[in-house]
Amino acid sequence: MNIIVCVKQVLDPEIPPAKFKIDPETKQVIPPPGVPPVISVYDERAVEAACRLKDTHKGNITVISMGSEKAADVIKHAISMGADDGFVLSDAAFENLDSFGIAYVLSKAIEKIGGYDLVLCGRQAADWGAGQVGSILAEILGIPIVTLACDIEAADKNIKVKRIVSDGYEVLEAPLPSLVTVSSEIGLPRLPAGMRLMIARKKQIPVWTAQDIGAEASQLGTDNAHTEITGLSVPDRKTECEIITGATSSEAAVNLAVKLNELK
Amino acid sequence: MSPVSATYWGIPGYAIFWVLFIIAFGLFVQRVYVLLRLMSLGKQENRFGRIGLRIKNMLFEVIPQWCSLRSVTRKDLAGLGHALMFWGFGFFLISYIVFIGLAEGFGLHAVLMGTTFETVYASILDIAGVFVIIAIVWAAIRRYVIRPERLEINVEAGVIMIMVFSLMALHFCIEGFGIAGSGESAAWPPLGAAFARFLSGTDISQSTLTAVSHGAWWLHYALILGFLVYIPRSKHLHVLAAGPNIFFKPIGPNVVLEPIPLEAIEDPEGTEAFGVSKIQDFTWKDLLDLYACAVCGRCHVNCPAQVSGKSLSPKEVIHNLKEHLLEAGPGLLAGDTGESAKGQNKTLIGDVVTEDEIWACTTCGACQEVCPVGIEHIRKIIELRQNLVMAQSKMPESAQLMLRNMQSRGHPWSGAQSLRLRGDWTQDLELNILSPGDSAHTLFWVGCTGALIDRNVNATLSLTRVLKAAGVDFAVLGEAETCCGDPARRAGYDFQFQILAEENIELLKSYNIKKIITSCPHCYNTMKNEYPLYGGDFKVVHYTELIANLVSQGTLKLTKELDAIVTYHDPCYLSRYNEVYLEPRRIFQDIPKAQLREMERSKKTTFCCGGGGGHLWIEEQPGTTKINHIRIEEVIETGADTVVTSCPYCLQMLEEGIEHKGIKDSLQAKDLIEVVEATMK
Amino acid sequence: MDSKGVLVCGEIADGQLAPITIELLGIGRKLADDLGEELSALLMGSNIGDVGQEAIAYGADNVYVAEDSLLENYNSDAYTQVAANLCKKVLPSIVLLGHTDIGCDLAPRLNGRLGGGLAMESMALSIDPATKLLVSTRPVFGGNAHATVLSKTARPQMATVRPKTVPPAERDDSRQGKVIPVEDKIDPAAIKVKVVDRIKEEVEGVRLEDAEVVIAGGRGMGNAQDFGKLRELADILGGAVGATRVACDEGWAAATLQVGQSGKVVSPKLYIAVGLSGAMAHIAGCLGSKYIVAINSDKEANIFNVAHFGIVADHKEILPTLIEKFKELKAG
Repeated sequence: MNIIVCVKQVLDPEIPPAKFKIDPETKQVIPPPGVPPVISVYDERAVEAACRLKDTHKGNITVISMGSEKAADVIKHAISMGADDGFVLSDAAFENLDSFGIAYVLSKAIEKIGGYDLVLCGRQAADWGAGQVGSILAEILGIPIVTLACDIEAADKNIKVKRIVSDGYEVLEAPLPSLVTVSSEIGLPRLPAGMRLMIARKKQIPVWTAQDIGAEASQLGTDNAHTEITGLSVPDRKTECEIITGATSSEAAVNLAVKLNELK
Repeated sequence: MSPVSATYWGIPGYAIFWVLFIIAFGLFVQRVYVLLRLMSLGKQENRFGRIGLRIKNMLFEVIPQWCSLRSVTRKDLAGLGHALMFWGFGFFLISYIVFIGLAEGFGLHAVLMGTTFETVYASILDIAGVFVIIAIVWAAIRRYVIRPERLEINVEAGVIMIMVFSLMALHFCIEGFGIAGSGESAAWPPLGAAFARFLSGTDISQSTLTAVSHGAWWLHYALILGFLVYIPRSKHLHVLAAGPNIFFKPIGPNVVLEPIPLEAIEDPEGTEAFGVSKIQDFTWKDLLDLYACAVCGRCHVNCPAQVSGKSLSPKEVIHNLKEHLLEAGPGLLAGDTGESAKGQNKTLIGDVVTEDEIWACTTCGACQEVCPVGIEHIRKIIELRQNLVMAQSKMPESAQLMLRNMQSRGHPWSGAQSLRLRGDWTQDLELNILSPGDSAHTLFWVGCTGALIDRNVNATLSLTRVLKAAGVDFAVLGEAETCCGDPARRAGYDFQFQILAEENIELLKSYNIKKIITSCPHCYNTMKNEYPLYGGDFKVVHYTELIANLVSQGTLKLTKELDAIVTYHDPCYLSRYNEVYLEPRRIFQDIPKAQLREMERSKKTTFCCGGGGGHLWIEEQPGTTKINHIRIEEVIETGADTVVTSCPYCLQMLEEGIEHKGIKDSLQAKDLIEVVEATMK
Repeated sequence: MDSKGVLVCGEIADGQLAPITIELLGIGRKLADDLGEELSALLMGSNIGDVGQEAIAYGADNVYVAEDSLLENYNSDAYTQVAANLCKKVLPSIVLLGHTDIGCDLAPRLNGRLGGGLAMESMALSIDPATKLLVSTRPVFGGNAHATVLSKTARPQMATVRPKTVPPAERDDSRQGKVIPVEDKIDPAAIKVKVVDRIKEEVEGVRLEDAEVVIAGGRGMGNAQDFGKLRELADILGGAVGATRVACDEGWAAATLQVGQSGKVVSPKLYIAVGLSGAMAHIAGCLGSKYIVAINSDKEANIFNVAHFGIVADHKEILPTLIEKFKELKAG
């Protein structure tokens, strides 16, 4: 089973909220110094889903990431988990694209790679979190889609997907090829085993430009954007937190209970 | 008359002597040969460096019985008993060779017996015999009546005790009956002669006495041969293996982990045999360890995991590995593979040693410290973890979370980054934070815990202030510092450790760092003892060493009174692994009015806080209690109001223990540097 | 681009309009009025009955009703087909959906098929008076920041809105409107993905989304056993238990109890956060709560920045007493 996984390199979501700084002019986030970017949480789950399928069904996993040249790190991370190879899609024309633009670029890369049975994406990016690229990509590629998967099982010509819903889950059957977006409920991603860490480290990741994948300027650029971000702000959230104390912890707990009881 | 010169049922004594000897010796050699061949199943390892030092160590441990005597405590004097037994039996061994082997076997009876030499030696033997009897009776009472926890009640031990006692009893019988039967009155050997006088006073005829003496002689001989056959087939194998095992002990760091050669394994999908998954993955030295074990149980009663009720017992691990080697080994030697071969249907990880046992270890080193025969328990555990983590990707989830975080964020504290960043502690301080192109001689390596966890950041800041006050010139890496790799290595994720080590060494070299000051004993141990194998040769000191020096020199004066009753908790990785335990006490010596109360388990016998071996992050298994709670009890027993330590892991674990017991008002935990800062001028 | 009007993609639950749809009709009406255009609704299902009239009572001018056995339960391919075909005919300027199980799947697909501009999880929607464009505000970076989004030319302009974010529409049964059946037949060949099974997870007690009191636990709970103690407190207060993503990853709570950016967003009267640091991705799920209480041993934890009350202590020392005191107060 040949799988293509789309991954994104994002700002580490675990930075202290106090360090989160934006530039309202450029509408960008200013990354705090010394914090390396990481693979988007849900995309890592998508890689894990691919690896689980490869555990039971022979095949190839190719990982693509649109971003700066540093995105090679997330591809290497995916390779250390079990992917076979990957490509970075980097070009000045790929900057500041909206969901349609991103999906278009990914689709061109996927078409270039070809021969796939399954495309996997995270349900949304851990940074901007627009949550649309997977669906638009499926539309462009003309393949069926299942969203919010927490489990994927492969059968001969189709896949069985468990999908998260608010009060439980659904089980769906989809033909191949299709696209599935993966959610965190799939579980913890595996720790890269032994040699894979070293192999991934040494691997050279090719970079594809717009020309390499045949991406046309008419589909890229801010003029062709479907949505644009007109403002970015950090809401003022600080509350006046009343710290309840007591001579002992027990007393504090009692004081809290009394206080809350008064409120209701 | 010599017992062998007689004829028994028509067979000459010589013949019987030699036939018995050949059979017994044959069985002995055959067994030893099998054991050596089984040992050869293990991988190569070079333990042949510094032969002179090795010989010296071995002779010192064995002959003056330092191996036993160093384990003697007020509560456990058994080591003394063993020393007596050993020396006593040593004399007997010589007598067997000379007075049985040479005198009887080689027909030198007339030359050797009846000589002054014989009489003198026999007298020495009398005394030795008494000591051996005292020792063996004492041992039997301990094992079967007093029943301390570390000694097993089993048949094997009983058999050996009976054999030894019988040998002594028979020896006196041979002497007593022999002298009495000869009709001569002798004064020496004293006990033998006394026994003879008693016998002479009875009605037993001289010929009967002589006959009994000869009978006792043959029985004695048979028993010696029986012992010879039994030794390599019982735990008494340690008699043969302990000496060599001590000879091959590590010279230098006590836990020897070899870097995994990257070039050796090329095939990414091939059977990645990292660490140990089969008995033959161990080295020959690991297998020799199994032979050297005398099942004394000292490791068992000193293991913090065992003492707190986990399933892990270092003794059981070694015993089970040995049993497995003996069971599955012959089949492996014969080239049998497959599950039908005897013992090979057992998996090493799972059947012989369980995953719980493997993960319960905190790598504190108490087992190795207390082992009289130099068994290396820890690296076996770590190598088993290596296989679980790197080849099988199996580990407790808390370990997986920690290791994933090491990979993506370069430190083990998942979620800590939500509260502070690596370089935050340097804010508002005037520090020499290195940037590319800089050069510095001395670096203060902070460590992950000291940079990311609030309580420990206080200690880091304290150390910075003290160093500055003492005029120490040092640089820091700030946010560029990543983990030294220790948690990954102890958890078995050796490749991640290797990557971190190589990157760190490259970074440190790029700044021309020569000396590193650490506040964490784990960073200290890793960078001092393990980085050299990866190309990193730096002079590494723990701050206690540095501060003790400054105090001795008078550069740092501790003049303020310490109004507290303190006890000092020695971190395992500082005191046991690296023998740094005098320096902290040196510091206390200079503090006015410092009342330092020592816990019973201190210095090299310190009791683990429970945070090592990755366990500051890996969830502790359920047991009867938690390791750090046991330690806090020991702290409370001293009556101290402050427990001082010099390790960030220990500080965390001790504070958790204090909180759990709800005694924050009567007991506080401090890092030693905080005490230094509080008392310095 | 002749697109006009606001279209609400409605949902039907238990033979009635789902509460989210009533809320969407409320905001939809306002947007339509600001634009001076009509508000329509699309209802898809198999036995819709009078629900169309209900939608009119809640403010819709036109209600498109698509009835087909294939639409009985949500099927992504079928619903997308129907909605897209309708939109291509009707050409709405704005399409609104709920940020629900259905909306999260349908909205991006619909957007992808129509080539519009979509803002998921909008917290605020308005019409810019000068440009007459729909301006959406949505959380980004796990809720650390808010972004305003608009589509200059792409149509339709789309947004999904979380339940209980906007006030519901007022019912007026005297309102007039048109119920228009959707004639197009669904092409069965276009339905590639089939739902084979549905498993409801039994949740103890009150449903998280409806609870007035939520007790949520995070990493600081330490283990499954301690996490389980939150259930006791929830029961006394008649509330539900929630969890952070970490707690769910650890297996201490079912995924359906996850509160946060990638889980459920709740807005109870009282939200007690125990042993959780308050990472933005989680906070995003509970900021709508009236009172947030934090119990955490780390005084620097971010949760104290958004809480109204807090105790800096280990939960193990607080919970037992808290439970006992509440029991007492309830009884007395």
